[in-house]
Amino acid sequence: METIWLYQFRLIVIGDSTVGKSCLIRRFTEGRFAQVSDPTVGVDFFSRLVEIEPGKRIKLQIWDTAGQERFRSITRAYYRNSVGGLLLFDITNRRSFQNVHSWLEEAQSHVQPHSIVLLLVGHKCDLEAQRQVTQQEAEKLAGAFGLRYVETSARDAINVEKAFVDLTRDIFDLVRSGDIKIQDGWEGVKSGFVPNTVHSSEEVTKGSRQCLC
Amino acid sequence: MFGRSRSWVGGQGRTKNIHSLDHLKYMYHVLTKNTTVTDHNRNLLVETIRSITEILIWGDQNDSSVFDFFLEKNMFAFFLNILRQKSGRYVCVQLLQTLNILFENISHETSLYYLLSNNHVNSIIVHKFDFSDEEIMAYYISFLKTLSLKLNNHTVHFFYNEHTNDFALYTEAIKFFNHPESMVRIAVRTITLNVYKVSLDNQHMLHYIRDKTAVPYFSNLVWFIGSHVIELDKCVQTDEEHKNRGKLSDLVAEHLDHLHYLNDILIINCEFLNDVLTDHLLNRLFLPLYVYSLVIPETSEDRKINPQVSLYLLSQVFLIIHYQPLVNALAEVILNGDLSVFTPQSDIHSSYKNTASAGGVQRFAKPSESLERSLELSRHRGRKRTQKRPNYKNLGEEEDDEKAGGGGGSGGHGGEESWEDNGRGGEREKGKGTEGGGGGSSKGSRASGETAEEIEMVVMEKCKVSELTEQNITDEEKTAAATRTYAQRSRPFLDMVYSALDCSNDDYHALFVLCLLYAVSHSKGINCDLLERLQLPVPDQERSSYSLVLVERLIRVMSQAAQPDGKVRLATLELSCLLLKQSVLSGNHCIIKDVQLACLEGAREESLHLLRRFYKGEEIFLDMFEDEYRSMTSKPLNVEYLMMDASVLLPPTGTPLTGIDFVKRLPCGDVEKTRRAIRVFFMLRSLSLQLQGEPETQLPLTRPEDLIKTDDVLDLNNSDLIACMVVSKDGGQAQRFLAVDVYQMSLVEPETKRLGWGVVKFAGLLQDMQVSGVEDDSRALNIVIHKPSSNPHAKPLPILQANFIFADHIRCIIAKQRLAKGRIQARRMKMQRIAALLDLPVQPSATEVLGFGQTASASPSGLPFRFYEQSRRAPNDPTANRSVFASVDKVPGFAVAHCVSQHSPSPLSSPSPPSSGSGSTGRCDSVTASTTSVQSPADDGTFLEHTEGEGGGGEVTQVSSTPSTLVPSPALAPSLTPASQPNISLLTDNSADTLSVESLTLLPPAGSPHLHPCASHIPVTHGLQRPGASIAEEEEDEEEEEDEDEEETEVGRKGEQREEGELQEEEGSPVDETDATVKEETTTDLVTPTEEAVEGGGEPEGEDTQLDVDRDLPQRDDSVENTEDAGTYSDTPDSPELD
Repeated sequence: METIWLYQFRLIVIGDSTVGKSCLIRRFTEGRFAQVSDPTVGVDFFSRLVEIEPGKRIKLQIWDTAGQERFRSITRAYYRNSVGGLLLFDITNRRSFQNVHSWLEEAQSHVQPHSIVLLLVGHKCDLEAQRQVTQQEAEKLAGAFGLRYVETSARDAINVEKAFVDLTRDIFDLVRSGDIKIQDGWEGVKSGFVPNTVHSSEEVTKGSRQCLC
Repeated sequence: MFGRSRSWVGGQGRTKNIHSLDHLKYMYHVLTKNTTVTDHNRNLLVETIRSITEILIWGDQNDSSVFDFFLEKNMFAFFLNILRQKSGRYVCVQLLQTLNILFENISHETSLYYLLSNNHVNSIIVHKFDFSDEEIMAYYISFLKTLSLKLNNHTVHFFYNEHTNDFALYTEAIKFFNHPESMVRIAVRTITLNVYKVSLDNQHMLHYIRDKTAVPYFSNLVWFIGSHVIELDKCVQTDEEHKNRGKLSDLVAEHLDHLHYLNDILIINCEFLNDVLTDHLLNRLFLPLYVYSLVIPETSEDRKINPQVSLYLLSQVFLIIHYQPLVNALAEVILNGDLSVFTPQSDIHSSYKNTASAGGVQRFAKPSESLERSLELSRHRGRKRTQKRPNYKNLGEEEDDEKAGGGGGSGGHGGEESWEDNGRGGEREKGKGTEGGGGGSSKGSRASGETAEEIEMVVMEKCKVSELTEQNITDEEKTAAATRTYAQRSRPFLDMVYSALDCSNDDYHALFVLCLLYAVSHSKGINCDLLERLQLPVPDQERSSYSLVLVERLIRVMSQAAQPDGKVRLATLELSCLLLKQSVLSGNHCIIKDVQLACLEGAREESLHLLRRFYKGEEIFLDMFEDEYRSMTSKPLNVEYLMMDASVLLPPTGTPLTGIDFVKRLPCGDVEKTRRAIRVFFMLRSLSLQLQGEPETQLPLTRPEDLIKTDDVLDLNNSDLIACMVVSKDGGQAQRFLAVDVYQMSLVEPETKRLGWGVVKFAGLLQDMQVSGVEDDSRALNIVIHKPSSNPHAKPLPILQANFIFADHIRCIIAKQRLAKGRIQARRMKMQRIAALLDLPVQPSATEVLGFGQTASASPSGLPFRFYEQSRRAPNDPTANRSVFASVDKVPGFAVAHCVSQHSPSPLSSPSPPSSGSGSTGRCDSVTASTTSVQSPADDGTFLEHTEGEGGGGEVTQVSSTPSTLVPSPALAPSLTPASQPNISLLTDNSADTLSVESLTLLPPAGSPHLHPCASHIPVTHGLQRPGASIAEEEEDEEEEEDEDEEETEVGRKGEQREEGELQEEEGSPVDETDATVKEETTTDLVTPTEEAVEGGGEPEGEDTQLDVDRDLPQRDDSVENTEDAGTYSDTPDSPELD
């Protein structure tokens, strides 16, 4: 029973440790918040379907890897095979915000000469009282790098959907416009199975055509 | 599928406490009741496994008795039992995922030992899953990876059995090294790297890995990489119109992945492994495939890849891998080797005792056996022989022994590797249909080993044929080499590299060669001796000689780049410049030979001519000029990134439609050609300056440090300010004063502590500003200032977007005019400076302000800013000013002027630098300009500074124009006009446009007003900023001017115009006669600044002008000095001409 999806996007989630990457992913893929007492589940990847438009479903494959990889060749491969990602920082941890730049640089250096669609996420926005990074400065930083910015909370389920869906939409638009091309050997975007209905829209034909060349 | 994982932890809400030993017992009960998997109990079993895992993780942290029970009941066996029942995908996936989670989350060592004991995990690892299922594959490899992350010196014993030579985790994993799914390959790499890392501390394991697996694995890996490379080359060859770029970029990325992986292995620094790996890489991949392809003629069948591809890939190798033995040997061959390395006699690499090259000839050949097969065989053999050869070093001998025993005649190939042996053995076995897998008996395997040799011989014979052909070629080469002198060693590869630098047709190869040379010279792994011997550029090294050949070629590339139809891409040029600098700069001095420097200067000259062809007076040229400078300096070439870009692998193209970065392709269309010419000019100019040890004084046109910045505190005495309300786009309001500077507009607020000073709240470049009226409000202006961007395609980003609301519509008009004119003037000034940079005569454009243009031409240097800085920050320090002047001397025009003034009584000639083609009018203008500059102090601090600086540069005029337009002064010298700006603006309003344009432009705007306290709005400290020296000088100049008739007349003209201005001013503003006279004096002062060097007449006027004590002191000092010096040349003591 293969699920029907138009594309599969492979995403990564990066950011300093303890910013809540795993929590965010699990909130998104499993719909619940992992209590502190729970063991951190570090499975390689999660996946979930997202319906960005009626009948248009995208399978997201989300890799939660950063940190455990000690070797450059490995990190590089993760970045390279992702079409986009969430760059997390913890709004209650100024340091994690300051490191955003170096994360960006790392991502950039690995995917050269291509680029990767990132979305800046200020996580743990439920902890307003301990906030160390204002929304304005985060937005400013995001603007400077041309990123979108969203504040989320996995605990209160604030904006978690939005973060992923926004990113997915952005990527989808880029794929549709041809700015991101599906390529053999690159696993960032895969063309999926489409039900044999009216939905077999021009995107799909376009995508498969690009595959050939 | 994935969704199922949802419920694996907790969350089931059962009444019973699920985290307990009791619950585990219950689960155990369930398992015992359901040993057989059926459709009915499948879900139950999966759920049970899940719960067990959960309890185990809980127990790991809370209750160790859980593990005791688990172990006691041997519950893992149930898992295995379930697996083996071919229970289907569903259960497999669930089990693997669960195990994965389990191992990932166990934190206690002891818990881990429990789980790993009894060899259950290894049983799972070797279980034959259905790997055709993508998801099972993913979970399986992920499981292995998790396990490999748990490897350490203790746990490794659970995985590696040294008695049986089993290491399932590793051997099963590497079987997937070429899996089509890249994530699987990546996981395999992680596993191997983790294993290698642990093996460092475990001799047995290390030996096992090296003896039994390294050769098969690495040879297959190398073959895999090589196959990709050949595919890559094919992709390049068959490309049409860049259609293959997607695939190509993927293949390039793949190659990079491989190199990074190899490098990761090498930097683990496991010597044994590195030896084997290095040997394979060198002798089976880099040398035979990459390097050899550099010199084989195109027609030869031996040529597997094209030279440009091979150069590109070699660059990547050197950029990424720094392992000394490897890169050094490789570089040695390329830079110093000859073809003998491809003949059996060569023993260059004999230091690697390994056997891959034992055949004597490097070949890029497919391993005769699949990795899986070799592993399997080596495992069986290993079992048999473990006792026999614990040491790798004995290996070869033993092989020899065996071979001798078998009567094989392959003595010459005694070093053939054991794995090949195995491979052949495998073939034989296959052929005979015997089952290799079952070969447990030593007899059987022994037999297989013997037959293997026979087959091996056959194979070797085949090889010999190919060797022969190779040898033929090399023999010819050798004889050819022999006929040459012995002293001159033939270096076919190096020759090829150098000859590929030729760019007369295109720079396709040259770019790669440059990258390769760059990469080699920057590699940490390469012995500096080698580079020095060949006189190749070694960064940051003192040296006294350089490779003439290389530098000659580099300069040729540059000069080709400067040709109008040059086919050299910007990246190539930038890299050449880089390498040239590296070659000839030793420490702080340059060792380039004069001849070559001359050639380089020639190239620079050509680039200048090239750019002149594109020079236009249009606004866009200025924008381009500055954009290019910004993008060149903000994004210096990153060779590593360049070599990651597959698009350069395709022949250079000119069309932007390919999406290739501008610097990596040829220009298309006039705009891009202009941009390219600008860049070429910049690069060669900067190179030439650097080689000659001269600082860049004219670029960028505006240095950020010279600009007014937010929070600067400025002396606003004598500045013209207009109060306004700034309403920003988001509705914020602020009361500010608007000040217009030469290059900038700023919004200031009064400084609370110092009278007459203001704090800058915003400053923006006039040239990037748009002013427009607001429809329904005659008192408001809409102002937008864009941030200058280095990317021509980027959307301009506004840094200011606001409505300025003034007290009344007249002030509004004044502000508008001031801003609009300021913008034009700022741009014009910059254009003039560009023209000066290009040694272009500045055409007196009829429509424009005459004086302005010419003055600009007169001033070739961008000095105003520099000067400005100093005067603003240290207004009272005359020495600072002087130093600036001194630096000015470098400008040729100025220097001339300087000399003249000193030696000849007629200083007139000096003001107009020779570079300016303009005639006498030009001089006049320049003079006026100078005056303005001198006087400028009175106005905005900024104005003053600029003008002074210009004066220093010898080109005073530009500055004045802006202010002049705004402020016509009543005094003879236009510069004198100190009138408050509002007045001026009124005047401009009243006077016809034409009039205002002419007169205004001619008039030097700023000067005198400051001197006169009355004239300026703020009478306080105007004097502070003025350096006395300049005043004195100015006076002298004036005198000099008088001497010359021409100039006098001109001055007269100006005077008239200025008078007009003054009259107007008088009408508009209450300026006293006294003020006017003062102004006159100041003007005279002003004239002098053009020749700052001349410090002649200390004249009474100067003293008069100085109202402030502060000013007086420095001035007097200067004037005293000046008088001494200048007495000789300044004939006229006074500057009465103006009167």
